[in-house]
Amino acid sequence: MCGIAGVMYRGVGQSFDTGKALIQMLDGCQHRGPDSTGFALYAPEKSGRLKMRFFLEKLIEGDSQDSINTIRGRLGELGAVVEEEAQVGDNYRVTVRFGGDIQKLSYEMERAAKVISIGTSLEIVKDVGSAHDVDDRYDVHEFRGTHGLGHVRLATESDVKPEAAHPFWATGFADVAIVHNGQITNYWKMRRRLQQQGFEFTTDNDSELIAVYLADKLAQGAALKEALASSIDDLDGTFSFLVSTQDEIGYAKDRLAAKPMIMYQDENLVAIASEEVSLNRLFPGQALNTREPAPGTYATWSRSI
Amino acid sequence: MVSLDLAQLSVREANTRLRALGEAGEDVEILNPDARHHIGVGLTAPVRVNVRGSAGYFCAGLTDQAHFNISHNVGWGVGDNMYSGSVVVGGNAGAIPGVAIRGAEIVIHGNMGSRAGQVMKAGTLCCVGNANFMAGYMMYGGRIIILGDSGERLGEDMSSGEIFVAGKVEDLGSDAMLTDIDQGELDSLHEFLDRYDIKAPKGFSKVVNAGTKLRYGTSERPMRSIPFQSFSGASFYWNPKIQEDIAIKSQSGRYRIRGYGGARPLPHFSDIGFRKSLASAGADRNVIDKVSMDTEIGGINGARPLKLSMPVMIAPMSYGALSRSTKQAIALGSAMSGIAENTGEGGMSDAQRDAAGQLIFQCLGGRLGWNIHDMRRADALEIYISQGAKPGLGGQLMAKKVTPELAKIRGIPAGIDLRSPSRHPDILGADDLVIKIEEFREATGYELPVSVKLGAGRIRDDIKIAAKDGFDFVELDGMQGSTGAGSSEVIDNVGIPTLPAIIEAIEALEEIGARDKVQLVLMGGLRDGVDAVKALCLGADAAAFGTSVIIAGGCIACMQCHVGTCVTGIATQDPEHEKRYKPENESQNIHRFLESVRWQIAAITNALGYDNVRQLGRDDLVALTPEAAHITGLPYEPVPVDTATFNMGTAP
Repeated sequence: MCGIAGVMYRGVGQSFDTGKALIQMLDGCQHRGPDSTGFALYAPEKSGRLKMRFFLEKLIEGDSQDSINTIRGRLGELGAVVEEEAQVGDNYRVTVRFGGDIQKLSYEMERAAKVISIGTSLEIVKDVGSAHDVDDRYDVHEFRGTHGLGHVRLATESDVKPEAAHPFWATGFADVAIVHNGQITNYWKMRRRLQQQGFEFTTDNDSELIAVYLADKLAQGAALKEALASSIDDLDGTFSFLVSTQDEIGYAKDRLAAKPMIMYQDENLVAIASEEVSLNRLFPGQALNTREPAPGTYATWSRSI
Repeated sequence: MVSLDLAQLSVREANTRLRALGEAGEDVEILNPDARHHIGVGLTAPVRVNVRGSAGYFCAGLTDQAHFNISHNVGWGVGDNMYSGSVVVGGNAGAIPGVAIRGAEIVIHGNMGSRAGQVMKAGTLCCVGNANFMAGYMMYGGRIIILGDSGERLGEDMSSGEIFVAGKVEDLGSDAMLTDIDQGELDSLHEFLDRYDIKAPKGFSKVVNAGTKLRYGTSERPMRSIPFQSFSGASFYWNPKIQEDIAIKSQSGRYRIRGYGGARPLPHFSDIGFRKSLASAGADRNVIDKVSMDTEIGGINGARPLKLSMPVMIAPMSYGALSRSTKQAIALGSAMSGIAENTGEGGMSDAQRDAAGQLIFQCLGGRLGWNIHDMRRADALEIYISQGAKPGLGGQLMAKKVTPELAKIRGIPAGIDLRSPSRHPDILGADDLVIKIEEFREATGYELPVSVKLGAGRIRDDIKIAAKDGFDFVELDGMQGSTGAGSSEVIDNVGIPTLPAIIEAIEALEEIGARDKVQLVLMGGLRDGVDAVKALCLGADAAAFGTSVIIAGGCIACMQCHVGTCVTGIATQDPEHEKRYKPENESQNIHRFLESVRWQIAAITNALGYDNVRQLGRDDLVALTPEAAHITGLPYEPVPVDTATFNMGTAP
């Protein structure tokens, strides 16, 4: 029960105001989900570096410095060398030098702390409240990058808390994030299948499943396009979702088209959202030539084109 | 022409100005629309509106007579429920264009989204480009013209009307078929296309209803008369009810339809009692003057509330299931007692509107009888999601009751076995629902409360959604609620009883800290003032009565409501049968019953030591059975003071 948005700017080697763009788009469809808001923002980091974000538990007794020390200690044990760190809102943000197995690092860190995202260019920011509330806490508007996703959420079957907000990171897979509107009805069946292959899940949210499902396909060598094509066959339910990786963005839409999605592209950018009103926020006063993706379809865009 | 600039004005401000300009006969242009929702909603004047750009959801929704021109795209539900007038869209339209229109003309120059013309009743929807899947889904009448290709399942479950396709017909939906087109129809199509400057194609395929699903081969057989008491008796094996069920199915070969509510033992309000002695109840003849019972419902978000003289209202029951005279009698009775009546599905009759003091107008998925003019003369609006007797299913009205007059109000073909859609075309989730509520508020100037009727099913989640989506009140209906016609299997086996329903609803609201953000009206087998007081103690803000009011007004509980030949003239549309019903007498009976409810509420509240019904609370109750204790969390104290020691004195 949500609104989704995604934007990718064309132009290799440049950076754009993706934070501001997504805040605008999400403010435009905040009526679809007033409970929480989140952003997946992409800006490439130097090679050999990983950006990581963690939730700091507000409710835990004592100082948040304790949690930071725990995270820092564990990172050191796992061979990740901290280069930059900061406490932003209720998050701990850290850049590390790391050359090992990212999936193993992710799973180990999940056991020590609440990981929001890990990536060479991805950072996820999400919390309860509106797009502007979250921006006030995390300075999303200052973010410049290449592409990103956003999400507003109305919690229906789970609690209102930051961990349940979107976007979802594909736990264990660097740089893969998803925003989703809908409900996957064969969630448990799909989840058991993936768990038997050794994948770990940190929530009971069906959107995390889509992220891990797609990331697994990518890890096996499938192109994002192929992963999206098989998702339409493998996932049951109503869904419109957006996925992003280090250099691609894509959508898939179920055959019933119960959840809206509309897209716009020109020579500078491609933008996709639940409602045209969000797209129009990027182009005030203009009438856009938009297109509604057909039911049961998918598409991807890459930064190199 | 006056310009309204949405870069300066909110849609709400612009719509207010637009309606005023419409009254003055001024044409209007809308600048910088930027795909905002609800542009033009509720306009009922014969003026032109030019939207320079794209519009969002429900553009021109709930309008009559106006002519809209949108230069670019529109979102979901363009022209929703439009009566007359026109909409021309220069670009593409999102899903459900022309949903539930009742006579307007809608032209889309680009492509249109899925389920175009869903539940439309009359008028023309024309798409110059291609249509997505299920165009004409559940349409009841009117005409759809598609000049490009049609998508999958064209005309799925259409009841009537015609679909003309110039391009490729990909495939036909359930109960739709191709048929020949005659010259008169072709001429009419050409006249329409000429009028909108659209080049006529070489030819058309014509799709209509195939008539395989609208009527049963054998009609529903009347039951033998089994009194409700034996029908719902406690013996499980081969009792009269089971035997009758088998006998009827041996003739019809399908599931059964019957009226009334669940006839099986279920935990109910009789399983809880009052903690305190009610020995003094009834001693004071003037007790009504000593207890404050005035109740306002629906005003918590700033709308004009319903003002009830006691925390009681009438449960939604349709004109259709019930005769016009019965609805009139209930309306009169409720007005005499100073409480609110509810239209149920199927529209508002003048007789009912004139008779009712306060009237809630209900909107269902089929949009049968739903329209802007009756919305404006209602006192509250209600979105029906489901009902307690058959949660998840739509209403059913057997052919015998779908008379020409009734069909006209509902905008459907006469004589079909009407199965109302179980879902709204434009509410597929809590996110769409927000936009729908806003449309109703725009159409009525934010003055009327908007409520939601929920059948008890997934209560915990549903009630939270209702709170978050900002409904002004919720009508919660438990499994013991009745229906004019439903599948017997569903009535007896599906749903959550009223007692656990209210408990779960209150818990859910407390979980999200929204106890004071939602007013709850509880219904579903509530019988009298005693049940009402228990409902109030458990957290309801008011109780609603349906079946008990019908019985007060002459119903003999024979459960044949679906047949259409009700001997009391209540559940019938046959004038010969209806003649037996005397609204002027029955309204007095209903009024007297409601006054007895008032007296019971006052007497018990007073006996519990209060002077205001708002003081009632959970602590006033005990559970009389272990099961009720488990459901409610009330202490199990099976010998209530009031029955055991009343007037017996103390032992020597």
